[in-house]
Amino acid sequence: MSLANDVQEVGRVIDSLEEFGAEQGIPADQCLRFGLALDELITNIISYGLAGRSDAVITLAVSHEDGALSAELSDNGPAFDPVSAEVAAPEGGIDDMRVGGLGLTLVKTLMDRIDYQRDGGFNRLTMEMKLKAA
Amino acid sequence: MTNLNHEVIGGGLILKPSRRIDSASAKAFEDDANALVDQGPKKVVIDAADLDYISSAGLRVILTTAKKAKAAGGGLTIANAKANVKEVLSVSGFDAIFGLHDSVDAALASLG
Repeated sequence: MSLANDVQEVGRVIDSLEEFGAEQGIPADQCLRFGLALDELITNIISYGLAGRSDAVITLAVSHEDGALSAELSDNGPAFDPVSAEVAAPEGGIDDMRVGGLGLTLVKTLMDRIDYQRDGGFNRLTMEMKLKAA
Repeated sequence: MTNLNHEVIGGGLILKPSRRIDSASAKAFEDDANALVDQGPKKVVIDAADLDYISSAGLRVILTTAKKAKAAGGGLTIANAKANVKEVLSVSGFDAIFGLHDSVDAALASLG
């Protein structure tokens, strides 16, 4: 699917993923875990990489095979490799706590594999989450 | 007006978000939660019994709501989180900061 450069698209992505999961007989909670990683990555692209750009191109393909959910996410924003980006461990109390970087921490926790490539002006991420036996 | 389910019990404001707080819906939750904390009790419990999903944008909103409640002399804690939500709260360290409770009553009691 092709995504508009608007964070509201995240809702549509997760709705689509839930439909896909229901068709494929994937437990809803595992679909949502996968959706959360997509949410965080797409939100990063729209809020930072492609913020305000009218020529934004974002595409997403999700597949289900061999007991795993996989996704390919591409965007034409500036090169950004979330795999090697450093993520800050959460620390501090309520007053000094910062939530920056937490999205990528969640992605790395939830996914079993993430690969990044810069390819012809596009960031291309592929990721995989193994499904747990019901 | 708000779409966020909520009630006042025993001097506490219970916020009961449903389905998802994702990056698309976090802003609406923030607006509703802030308005309710402004008008209502400052002891806030997020009752997560109907919540299947929370993203880091949702965590950010919980943090801003908690700061608001604390600044007004209250506090915020979380009850009834399901497994997926619990996992996110744990990875983020929010479980330790805000506390997770098995019931709204226990959550309210923890706020004193």
